[in-house]
Amino acid sequence: MDLLWQGLVNGILLGGLYSLMALGLALVWGVLNIVNLAHGAFIMLGGYACYYMFSGLGIDPFIALPVTMAALFVFGYLLQRHLINLVIRAPMFNTLLLTFGIDVVLTYSAQIAFSADFRTINPSYAGAHFTWLGATIPLVRMIACAIAIALTLLLWLFLARTRLGRAIRATAQNLVAARLYGVEPRSIYALTFGIGAALAGGAGALYGVVSQLNPYIGVSLTAKSFVIAIIGGLESPLGVIAGGLILGLVESMTSLYIGATYTDVASFGILVLVLIVRPTGLFGRTT
Amino acid sequence: MEPVLSVRHLTKRFAGLTALSDVSFDLGRGEILGLIGPNGAGKTTLVNLISGAFRASEGDLRFEGAPIGALPSHRRAKLGIGRTFQIMRPFPGLSVLDNVAVGALFGTGGGHRQLAIARELAHQKLEFVGLAHRADRPAEALGGPDRKRLELAKALAMNPRLLLLDEVMAGLNLAELEAVFAIVRKVRDEGVSVLVIEHVMKAIRSLSDRLLVLHHGEKIAEGKPQQVLSDPTVIEAYLGRRRAAHEGAGT
Amino acid sequence: MKRPLARAGIVAAFVVLAGIPWIASPSIVQFGINMLLLAALAQGWNIIGGYTGYASFGNSVFYGLGSYGTAIAMLRWHLPFGIGLALGTVIAVIFAALFGRAILRLRGHYFAICTLGLAEVMTAIVSNLEITGRNTGLVLPLLRGDVLFYELSLALVVVATLIVAWIAHSRFGYGLIAIRENEEAAAAMGVDTTRYKVLAFSLSAAISALAGGIHAYWITFIDPVSAFDIGLNVKMIIVTVFGGPGSILGPVLGAFVLSGISEVLSTEISTVAGLFFGAVIVVAVVFMPRGVADLIRRFDKYRWRYFAENVRANRL
Repeated sequence: MDLLWQGLVNGILLGGLYSLMALGLALVWGVLNIVNLAHGAFIMLGGYACYYMFSGLGIDPFIALPVTMAALFVFGYLLQRHLINLVIRAPMFNTLLLTFGIDVVLTYSAQIAFSADFRTINPSYAGAHFTWLGATIPLVRMIACAIAIALTLLLWLFLARTRLGRAIRATAQNLVAARLYGVEPRSIYALTFGIGAALAGGAGALYGVVSQLNPYIGVSLTAKSFVIAIIGGLESPLGVIAGGLILGLVESMTSLYIGATYTDVASFGILVLVLIVRPTGLFGRTT
Repeated sequence: MEPVLSVRHLTKRFAGLTALSDVSFDLGRGEILGLIGPNGAGKTTLVNLISGAFRASEGDLRFEGAPIGALPSHRRAKLGIGRTFQIMRPFPGLSVLDNVAVGALFGTGGGHRQLAIARELAHQKLEFVGLAHRADRPAEALGGPDRKRLELAKALAMNPRLLLLDEVMAGLNLAELEAVFAIVRKVRDEGVSVLVIEHVMKAIRSLSDRLLVLHHGEKIAEGKPQQVLSDPTVIEAYLGRRRAAHEGAGT
Repeated sequence: MKRPLARAGIVAAFVVLAGIPWIASPSIVQFGINMLLLAALAQGWNIIGGYTGYASFGNSVFYGLGSYGTAIAMLRWHLPFGIGLALGTVIAVIFAALFGRAILRLRGHYFAICTLGLAEVMTAIVSNLEITGRNTGLVLPLLRGDVLFYELSLALVVVATLIVAWIAHSRFGYGLIAIRENEEAAAAMGVDTTRYKVLAFSLSAAISALAGGIHAYWITFIDPVSAFDIGLNVKMIIVTVFGGPGSILGPVLGAFVLSGISEVLSTEISTVAGLFFGAVIVVAVVFMPRGVADLIRRFDKYRWRYFAENVRANRL
């Protein structure tokens, strides 16, 4: 029983972070109709940005987080505006391939710039933990999960309540609709991509605190983000939270009861099943 | 004589919304039936049900006496039902000629197996609709009226016995309209039955042997064009709404 | 038309290719085998991805099934290579036909991701089965005959290219292209879309499996991670899209050019090579989105404007 409880808690803590990872991918996919294969590389870059602010300048990682996000926003905005925008109307293969190329470039650049060594953001309180109803909860994981959920809810509010957010949602339905809000579709696309990158950056900073960074983590994080976006659908950030929590719980339970080597089978098995049964995602709208 | 198409109590519901409700009618060999009604009356839904793009919620569909309600689109096409799409759907990556050749390669009875024969046939159809000079252009390069011709040629290349035309005349000028009329009449003279959806009232009146009027998914009138168009219910439903809208805009 | 001339040139090129291993150094022959197998794989992907328009990430699964089918038949049941290869191919085709029915209903990204999931699941399953040697993989009997493997790979490229050439000029191929361009309209015109898609997927699977079987026997060692490597599938896509998806020679051309580039680069520092490879992809997608085949066909007409026209057509 205790084991199950601990497993559930671990799954939820992991799932919260997962949802933030997937959020940017789902947003960009929903609005630009691009599956950004470089998304995981953005997460990786965010992790390193936070790492260097911490280890080089001694800035606390949770304070470095907003700076990281701002930096990634600018990076994403410029990348969309000046590169991805050039192929935005091309067939799906081409956009997929372009973002794959960007992923390759970012990964190898990171290897040259940061070396292939593992890095961890290790503040003094990294080992702190507390016990709640018999489950051990590491402090940093708790904070990371809370921040991840808070950012997801913030995005949800932004999309639902602000004029710009509504323009972004309208653009997801219909490109021309953005003009009704007095915004150029081009700017909406770049803004959305920037926000997606910023969210990835935030997720990367948190990831660096709870796990280890190296230049190659991108691919598997992109894959996980995919799975979550599929389970949660592209409609709403709340669906993405649900998707993240489901994946976190599935991974945690699988490694607890079946074995750690089976976590990928379980998560991708769920993906295949969900797609066959509900092609628009578990929480997506049926057509 | 047995009707080519027989529709009985056809109903289609989408998630609680009834798009088509209890519609019945027959279409004879070599007959042109005009399908009219205001926007959202269920005309395209009816075409989609007959062509097999959608399945009916209730009702019976027979083509040349055989039930077709459970068949997928391609089986119905094989039996001899050809259609055009209101939102034109060329194969953009193929040339105009090859677009039409797909119809000849598949279509009624599974079409012609030989590519050379199919392309020859496609060329004839392009001449028939007056698009032969554009045969080698990519389909995506065509303008509006030419795309309509292409849609028509694609459907004709299937050599159908029942042709469903979904607004192939909208946006054409008078001369172009006359040309399409001539084509449809010629096709009819070869024994093909035609179901035409059209907005242009003048066009449909002179082309159709009979008219069927849909309103809110229900059939409200059927008969000779003159008779139907002077029916008060039809005027109320079809023209009244527009007049009301017109007057509303005026005040 | 200059068709007969072009055809003669292509035949001559293949004859020259067939002659290479008899005069070239062993390292060139080994490079050639890798290049030819990649060309065959790209050609296989071209059928489902280029012609039918379904971005499959599952072709590495078929490659893996071909490898393991061949290896298991030879090791566990002591069958000759040819029969093992046939067995692996049959398994892959059955797998493609069964799963194809279920997942080819998905469109666009959803299909792509579902096949990606399938690849992950297969890797994990094979890593945990007794008959496949679990994580450690299988070691095949050693056969020293790079020339034989080279010619076998070349034969596979030729067969795959002939199949694609037939597709391009057949009723079947027109049906596939119609599906790629507009599936609903294709069905309305009488194309049995489900059957065609499953057939294309199975054909694609057969070619991938054959390449996998040949590679397994040549390299004499397979393990789950390398046999079901999604990276290989990504390579097939890159090579095909670079060369020209939905064209007859594009994928082969793409495989030759990109293999050549990466071979030259890998003699330099490998990180810089990787970086450059990524940059080549980015530049190619932006400036020649329809691949080398299209560039060759249309460069005469447009000259340098060709690149600007491409950007103009796809930007917002």
